[in-house]
Amino acid sequence: MLDYATQRRIELFLLEEARLLDAGQFEEWLKLYEPQGIYWMPSQPGQTDPLNVASIMYEDHAILSMRVQRLLEARALVLTPMPRTTHLVSNIEAQQAGDGEFTVDAAFICVEHQADRQRIYSGRHAYQLARRDDSFRIKLKRVALMNCDGVHSPMAVPL
Amino acid sequence: MEQPTAPLTSDEIRSLVRPDHVHRRAYADAAVFQLEQERIFGKLWIYVAHESQLKKPGDFVRTRLADYEVLVTRHTDGNIYVLQNRCPHRGARICMVDRGNSKVFSCPYHAWSFRPDGSLASVPHRKSYPEGFNFDDPANHMQRVGHIAIYRGFVFATLNENPEPLKDHLGQMTEVIDNLVDRSPAGEIEIADSSFTMEYRGNWKLHLENAADIFHPSFVHSSSVAPARRAPPNASILDQDQTREMLAANGLGYEEWEGIQLNGYTGGHVYMNNIYQKGVLTNQDTDPVATRYKAALTERLGPEKAAHVLGMNRFNNIIYPNLIINAQYQQMRVTIPISVDRTLVQIHCFRLKGAPDEMFHRAVRFLSTLGSPASMIFSDDMEMLERCQQGLARDVGPWIDFSRGSGQERRGADGQLSGAASEMPMRVQFQAWVNYLTAEAA
Repeated sequence: MLDYATQRRIELFLLEEARLLDAGQFEEWLKLYEPQGIYWMPSQPGQTDPLNVASIMYEDHAILSMRVQRLLEARALVLTPMPRTTHLVSNIEAQQAGDGEFTVDAAFICVEHQADRQRIYSGRHAYQLARRDDSFRIKLKRVALMNCDGVHSPMAVPL
Repeated sequence: MEQPTAPLTSDEIRSLVRPDHVHRRAYADAAVFQLEQERIFGKLWIYVAHESQLKKPGDFVRTRLADYEVLVTRHTDGNIYVLQNRCPHRGARICMVDRGNSKVFSCPYHAWSFRPDGSLASVPHRKSYPEGFNFDDPANHMQRVGHIAIYRGFVFATLNENPEPLKDHLGQMTEVIDNLVDRSPAGEIEIADSSFTMEYRGNWKLHLENAADIFHPSFVHSSSVAPARRAPPNASILDQDQTREMLAANGLGYEEWEGIQLNGYTGGHVYMNNIYQKGVLTNQDTDPVATRYKAALTERLGPEKAAHVLGMNRFNNIIYPNLIINAQYQQMRVTIPISVDRTLVQIHCFRLKGAPDEMFHRAVRFLSTLGSPASMIFSDDMEMLERCQQGLARDVGPWIDFSRGSGQERRGADGQLSGAASEMPMRVQFQAWVNYLTAEAA
């Protein structure tokens, strides 16, 4: 089991990520990722293969940075008006996964408000984190949306 | 739901469409939608499944046909059947999953069981049913849709009791299905297991029109084009620059429009020529995966035929009323109307058997980039379609303009040809629409 201080630092790192997304600080959010870090949102429950099975998102830093620029363009139709979100992260369980590396599982709920509608997303996060200086960087974030294989409307802000 | 009182007359339908304009009721009137379900989705050949989903007896797919939920099945006799997903006993829906394999479809209520051809296999407590209860009576079977036809693996069905041959309906559009299948070095394609289903709060025709519209991307998708243009090329470790190129491709300007041709046919089918020449799925010579793929295809077809197959560059081939195929990118979309202002879009991709695995990985990424719920392209399209519906729902106007390029088309025996900026595809689609909706009462 992780020592309490490390566990707490990891929790605070996840909360920081949620806060940056809620605050619309997407460039700061992207800095939490390793240069080769990957954001993965599968389309199927239990999906292990991002190449032969389509993903809602399977993006590395380079693709994410285009997504972030788009979020900041203020011209994207689907982002007008800009959605407001509340990202909640809970049930955080962290484990050591090698020298300075950690795996983290968590549950999430995100409430998104835009114009005349409000939507709720929920599911599980699975992280691979690497310790960098005083903090961590994301090597992989897997977002298992509970209704990943359901019928969807456009999703605007990362979860 | 609001139920229309009296069906529209043919004269009323004709009065909704002028040469260059259409009345907003075509998108917003539930009575019009009712008639479309009956005379377009209930009369034309409708794509229901791909044969690669139905390899073994018992394989099935659940989908929609007009207003009905149907199962497309492979029976032990080797044939494909389309069955109403409804138990003839008490009317309950039987199958609650989208696909699978089952030797029998059993109603969970009183356990009538049916074979994949819809015939009744068993009922429990047989002795309590009347003497004359007949297992062979079709009234005791899952109801079959009468007509099914397959074109090179694409399964179509129709509720029309007297349909024209499928090939007559497809017309020239058989060429794009041929082209998709011919791109496989094994001469066979498989539909991918994973797909997306998107929903928008708008009329089904809006999606069809948007897919035939090359005017909108540089406006609607500018928020994705600009970041893609600023981003350094080949920065991604995942996709050989495919995502960036796809985003940037939507910024095509007036000069890129020059080479593009729009083709429209009297049946309402439409496609574009000569669009989007960049990227790893197009006919490039520099890429090692493409080189291996071309070698495999050439081995099967010979150099001349292979070059011809790979040279066909037709984008968004729209088979009226609801199937869109992009052979070059191994993609397919199916538009499923739910109500006058609610539509599903199912987005699929294909595997070319015998091609390098990377070809399929690229098709999967194309599917995600263009058609995922988080797509930086399609999400803006859907937002635009919803805004159209919101405006069309109000009794303002009431005429919608599609006159751009009017009078500049070249007309042939069975269709029209126009430049990229023309709204000819919409005019062709609406002419077909009137023809289909008024055919019954003619």
